[in-house]
Amino acid sequence: MSKISPRQLYFFLACVAPVGKLVLLPTHLANIAGNDFLYPLLVQYVIGAAAVFCTLLLVRRGKTLPVLLEEVCGKAVSRILCTLLSLFLFYATLVPLLEQKTFVQSVFYDTLPSLAAFAPFFLFAAYLMAAPLERQGRMWDLLAPVAAVGLAGILVLSFGSADYGALLPAVSMGFKSFSEGTMSATSWFYDSAILLTMLGKVEEEKGIAVKGMLFYLLGGAAVGLFFATFCAVFADTAVNQLFAFSKTSKYFAGITVLGRIDYFFIFLLAMVMAFYCVLPAQAGVDLLVGAFHKPRFLGPAVAVLLAAAYFTVSVSLDYRFGELVKAVTSTSFWVFPVFTVLAPVLLLALRGGRRES
Amino acid sequence: MKAEKFFRTLPMKLSILLFALILFTFFSNDFGLVDIQKTAIILAVGIDKSDDGYTVASQIAVPKGSDRTTGGTSSVEIVTEGATVSDCITQIYARTGWVPKMVFCNLILIGEEAVHEDVFGFLNYFLRNEYMSDSCFLAACEGSACRVISSRSAVADASSLAITGLFSDAAKKAGRVMTITLKDLSIGYYGVSKSGYLPYVRMRLQEGSQSSGEEESGSSTAPQYVYSAEETAILSNGAMVGLLTDSETLAFSLLKGNVFAGTFNAPDEQKGRPVTLTVLSDDGKVELKVGARPEVTLHLDLRVRLCCRGVTAPLEDIAGDSVPDSVLANAEEKLDGDILSLWRKIAAADCDLFGLRRTLYRTSLKEYGRWKETLLTGAAVTRELHVSTTN
Repeated sequence: MSKISPRQLYFFLACVAPVGKLVLLPTHLANIAGNDFLYPLLVQYVIGAAAVFCTLLLVRRGKTLPVLLEEVCGKAVSRILCTLLSLFLFYATLVPLLEQKTFVQSVFYDTLPSLAAFAPFFLFAAYLMAAPLERQGRMWDLLAPVAAVGLAGILVLSFGSADYGALLPAVSMGFKSFSEGTMSATSWFYDSAILLTMLGKVEEEKGIAVKGMLFYLLGGAAVGLFFATFCAVFADTAVNQLFAFSKTSKYFAGITVLGRIDYFFIFLLAMVMAFYCVLPAQAGVDLLVGAFHKPRFLGPAVAVLLAAAYFTVSVSLDYRFGELVKAVTSTSFWVFPVFTVLAPVLLLALRGGRRES
Repeated sequence: MKAEKFFRTLPMKLSILLFALILFTFFSNDFGLVDIQKTAIILAVGIDKSDDGYTVASQIAVPKGSDRTTGGTSSVEIVTEGATVSDCITQIYARTGWVPKMVFCNLILIGEEAVHEDVFGFLNYFLRNEYMSDSCFLAACEGSACRVISSRSAVADASSLAITGLFSDAAKKAGRVMTITLKDLSIGYYGVSKSGYLPYVRMRLQEGSQSSGEEESGSSTAPQYVYSAEETAILSNGAMVGLLTDSETLAFSLLKGNVFAGTFNAPDEQKGRPVTLTVLSDDGKVELKVGARPEVTLHLDLRVRLCCRGVTAPLEDIAGDSVPDSVLANAEEKLDGDILSLWRKIAAADCDLFGLRRTLYRTSLKEYGRWKETLLTGAAVTRELHVSTTN
C-alpha cells in the first residue's frame, strides 16, 4: 500500500485537523476565559506545533512506531507502550465522536430525532477504524478543499454581523481563567499523537518537520480567525452558543431572502468532521495491528468492538454529554499532554532506533 | 481475474455505499416531513405575568387551504398558564396533542406587567432552546400580550404577521420603529451595559370594524385591529424603565445612523404650517471621551430635502426642492429638543442605550471601574447637530 505523501499530510494539518476545533471548543473556552479565549488557543497551537515538529522529525528514521520502540525497549515493552497509546487514542475519540452526534441531532433536526438517525454512523465508524491508516492520504486530498471551502464560506457570511470590538479589553479575565482554559483545551489537541501512529507510513521529504509545523500553524491561524469572529458575533452570549460553526453565519443579511444558504458550508464541515472524529480511534486500531504484527482478524475485530462500545456509550450518555466533556477536560486533562507532547519529545530523545547512515 | 479485481475494489465500493448511507441519514432531516396533524407550528408567543407565574398565548399556524381563494396563513391561539414559560409551552402538548415546534417562532411579545420585571426571567427559556432561532423579534405591548396575540388583524391573516410587518427594514429605515432580536437584546443584557430596548406595540380598533361582540380571532364578527410600534420601551437590567415617544424614537434611530428616506416635520413660521422633510443621509453617532470626567458627544449630521410644505406652493417651488434656512434652523432646533429629551430620559433611567459603558469597558478597564455607576449621570453632554439641504 502506498505511503501518505507529504502533500496529503500538509492538507491534513492545515485543513482537516482544524475542523475538530470548531464545534464545542469555542463555547467551552468562552465559558472559562471569556473574550480572552484566544490566548489558551494560541498556547495550545504553539505547543501542538512544537509537538508536530518533534513527531515529524521522527519520520526521517523511516520506521513505524512499534519497530522504533521495539529496537530500543524490546518487543514486550513496545507492545505495552503501543497498547497504552492506542487506549489513549480510543479515549480521545470519545469527545469528538459525541460532539458530532449532538451536533447532528441539534443542528440538522428541528426537534430531537430518534436514536436511529445517528446509529448508522457507527457502522461507518467501524469501517473506517478497520481501514489501514495509509488510506487516509487519499481521503485528505478530497477532504482538505471541502474543509477549506466550508470554513471560508462560513467566515465570509459571518463578517457582516461581527463586531471585533467584542474581543476587547485584551486581558481582562486574569491568569486563573487563562491557565484553566489552556488546561481544559488539551482534550481537543491530540494531532501529534495521531501523527505518531503514522511514523513509517509517510513518505520522507526534506524539511517535512518544519513544513508540517508551519501548515499546522496555518490551520491554527484559520481556527483563531474563526474564534475571533465567533466572539465578535456573539460577544457576551458566546458562552451559550453550542456548535459554534453552525451559528456564526446565520445572521447573514441575505438569509432572510434566500433561506439558510449557510447550511451548504455547515454540511461541508460536518462531512469533514465525520471523518476527523473517528481518526484517533482509527489510528489506535492501526497501531495495535502494527504492534501485534498484523494478525488478520485483529483490526476488524477491534474496530467492530470499539464501534459497539462507542454506540453503547453514546446511548447511555445521551443526556450526560456535558458531564462527559467535564470529566475529560477537567479531571483527566493531564492524560493528553503525556501522549501528545511528552511522548514525541521522549521518542525524539531516544538514542536507539536511529537510521544507520 | 474478475473476482480478484472485485475484491480489490470492494473496500472503496463499501466506503462509498456507507458514506452515502450516512449522508442520507445525517442530512435528511427526516426527509423534511412534518406531520402537521401532530405538530404545533408556533408563529408567535405572547407572555403575561399571572398570579402563579405566566400566561402564554401561542399563535399556531394551521392549514387553511391550498386554492387561491382561501390560501394563506390561518392560525389558532392556545392560551396556557404555568409557573414558568416552559410549563406553559409544554401544556400545549397536554391540551392539544400537538408537539410544539418553535423553529418558526418569529415574535415574542411581552405584556405590560411582565416587561416591568426582569424579562430574562422567562426569555432564558428561549435562549436555552436549541431548536429555536434567536433571530426572532421581541416587542413589548400595552396591556395584555395574550390579548394582542389573540386579536384579529385588519391587515393580515394573523396578528403576529401584522406586527412583524411593522418591523420591516423599510419601517426601520424610515426611523419609525427600532427593532430588536432576541440575540441583540441578550447581548445588551448580559454585557456590561445591562440595557436594551423593545418596540412598544399598541393596538387600535380598526374604524368600521365591529367593536362589540365576541373577541375571538376566528370569529367573523370579531373586531379587527391595527397595530403601531412607533414608541420604544427602554430597559435597564432587563426591566422596562421608561418609554420613548415617537419623536424620541426617531431621534434614537437618527443617532444610530439607521435612517434613509425617513421623514419628520419642522415648523415654518413664514407659512404658518409645519413642513415635512425627507432624510437623504443620516450620519449619526455617539462618542465618548474620558478625561477628568467623561464627555459624551451626540453627533448628528443630516442632509434633507423638502417633501411637503403643507400649504399651497407655486410650481417653481415644487420643482426646485430648496429648503429655507429658517426651516433648517427649526429642524435643528426640533431635533435638538428631541435628542435632549431622549438623553435626559435614558440618563434618569440609567439605561445605557448607546452602549457607552461597553465602549468604556473596551477602551479602559481602569476608567470603567471608576465611572461605571455614574457614567450616564456624571458625563458632560455635548450635542452637535447640523441639518443641511441637498443644494
